[in-house]
Amino acid sequence: MLPFVEFRANRIVSGEPNGVVSAGAWGWLLVAACALALAASLAPKRWRSTALLAGGAAVLGLLPWALGAAAVSLQHDAPSAARVSIGGGAWLVLVGGAVVWFDGGRGVPTRVRLGAAVAALVVLSASFMWGGVPELSLAKEYAVQQARFWQLVAEHLYLSGAGLGFGALIGVPLGVLASRNRVVRNITLSVVGIIQTVPSLALLGLLVIPLSLIGLPGIGSLPAVIALTLYALLPIVRNTYVGLAGVDRAALDAGRGMGMGRAQLLLRVEAPLAMPLVLEGVRAAAVLVIGIAAVTAFVGAGGLGILVFLGWGQQADDLTMLGALPMVVLAVVADAGMRMIARLVVSPGIRGEAA
Amino acid sequence: MIRLENVTKRYGDTLAVDSVSFEVPEGEVCVLIGPSGCGKTTTLRMINRLIEPTSGAIEVDGRDVMSVKPEELRRHIGYVIQSIGLFPHLTVADNIATVPRLLGWNDAKIEPRVTELLELFGLAPNEYAGKYPRQLSGGEAQRVGVARALAADPPLLLMDEPFGAVDPLTRDRLQMEFARIQRELRKTVIFVTHDVDEAIRLADRIALLRDGRLQQYDTPEELLDHPANKFVHDFMGADRALKRLGRVRVGEVMRTEIEIARIGDEGAIDRTACVEERFVYLVDGAGVLRGWVDCDDLDEGLPAEDAITEIDWREGSVGPDVSLKEALSVMMGLGFRSVPVTERGRLLGEVTLSGIESTMTQADTHIAHTAAPESEPA
Repeated sequence: MLPFVEFRANRIVSGEPNGVVSAGAWGWLLVAACALALAASLAPKRWRSTALLAGGAAVLGLLPWALGAAAVSLQHDAPSAARVSIGGGAWLVLVGGAVVWFDGGRGVPTRVRLGAAVAALVVLSASFMWGGVPELSLAKEYAVQQARFWQLVAEHLYLSGAGLGFGALIGVPLGVLASRNRVVRNITLSVVGIIQTVPSLALLGLLVIPLSLIGLPGIGSLPAVIALTLYALLPIVRNTYVGLAGVDRAALDAGRGMGMGRAQLLLRVEAPLAMPLVLEGVRAAAVLVIGIAAVTAFVGAGGLGILVFLGWGQQADDLTMLGALPMVVLAVVADAGMRMIARLVVSPGIRGEAA
Repeated sequence: MIRLENVTKRYGDTLAVDSVSFEVPEGEVCVLIGPSGCGKTTTLRMINRLIEPTSGAIEVDGRDVMSVKPEELRRHIGYVIQSIGLFPHLTVADNIATVPRLLGWNDAKIEPRVTELLELFGLAPNEYAGKYPRQLSGGEAQRVGVARALAADPPLLLMDEPFGAVDPLTRDRLQMEFARIQRELRKTVIFVTHDVDEAIRLADRIALLRDGRLQQYDTPEELLDHPANKFVHDFMGADRALKRLGRVRVGEVMRTEIEIARIGDEGAIDRTACVEERFVYLVDGAGVLRGWVDCDDLDEGLPAEDAITEIDWREGSVGPDVSLKEALSVMMGLGFRSVPVTERGRLLGEVTLSGIESTMTQADTHIAHTAAPESEPA
């Protein structure tokens, strides 16, 4: 059995496992919610999605309260250096709850899904205020790093955003050119493909020499943004090319035959028809870049990678978590955000065909 | 008016179109026909410069097409293709509005035009304007394609096998509809097809091409009756008399002096009506055909109530716009020597076998004049 939480005498010694019992009443409530969420999958079809969503929401909502309660009770008589970390069991509950949540969410209207998300957010915030969550080791690490943490998040966003932005600015025109000219296509697609196979640390290393040759710094945010731009290229260039190549020949012929010039054809016919795939490329690039931006901490570019590496150096797992978890959240938010943009931008006439 | 003069298109060593010349008068339908690879589509696409001719001149309304910017030229020439090419991301209304928008019309002018066109093609505007192409049937999509080509009211319309990709029943209906709309709008139309029946039905003039060369350019009657060579003769087919019937609409030969009685009143049918007519048609209060009384049955002593054949006008009658060929086929199917003509159910008249026969005889005399074409040089 995986422990629900781990108790440590201080932040770097290895922890002693503790079960969900340590959370007292909240722990039992969580167990009950888990059982309900599992039972929801047996509910009659009409109610199943709603039941699953409710079960998932209950599990996710109760989890921080139970963790907080466990942290408070375990540290009650302990010295102030003592820490309570989230254990494997709790992570498993988190993942399980999320899976049940998403599965249920697919079967209910957007309104209900949004409502559930808001409710979960309220319960989560409440657990920070009144639920003992600040007593968790992760929260304590955050309390120490607070000012720096948000700066790192901002840096991370800046690095990923710049890489993605430049990637799109360069990648979309490259994709358009690739769809127009076979030579450009062969060169471009293979070059961006090769870049993708270079490991990120190696790429950062490789950039030092050419940058120093032209008198630019080989460390800091410049090489980081260049590397991230290069990584963002592949999905964007490839999807732009594939999207344009897939545009119905008949629509192009009709457009030309009705008197559209090259630019009008691109803007009025090709671009809207390729849009789902282009946005899908940007979405993939966004998730990719948010992940790779962690590595750029190595060349002094900042970002949440700093916390991960600090945590590793200090063998403080919760500090590592403090860097890793927000990256996961950023990636998930970017993914959902891009899907929402696609929904708004892509014409209902072609929705659901490519993406 | 369109004039082609020695138009040639060469691809490497092959001549796709070889010195083709013809002239289409304003308001006429010219059908380009021939086996696949004969250059008919190439010829069509040279008119709006989607393909540039190697040599020769093309004039539209007296203006050399080479003197006009291609985009500008195309905006004033309607263009319909077999695969339709509706823009899937745009609604039906926006698809139709394509050329007007390119020409810079304002919305106040575009909207009523779209509504007008949808109505012209029998597509209820409030139902169809907001639909996307993937929600349309093949026939509806093709109607929208033609409506889109007509949106800016171009004097000239190019159609490349526009009804080639739909099922035969829908094609039939679309042809009829196109013929009706063309009678109303009088566009100059260049129409490419490989279907001889379609050509004969719709064309004012047919240009028959083979290996890039124009074989004959004339009215369908002339191609049927006086083929220029063996190829034209063979291509137009053996059943030329029947094909000629495909050119004549029922409305042109139907008889309107028929005996009519109100349904329910058949007892009051005047026996004298049966002297001249075989059938007395029965209609309801709105004039909708409901059936007929066969005078032969009355003569055999059956009471009028028992001599009634009730029919549904959708099955037992033909419309005024169908060809004699189809009327003949319906007649055969029903097993009678005449068939009533209705429009939306309202009885207009009847078309008889003898009426068709006399049309056919005219055709036969024409054919009799044609001295064994097989002996002519190909």
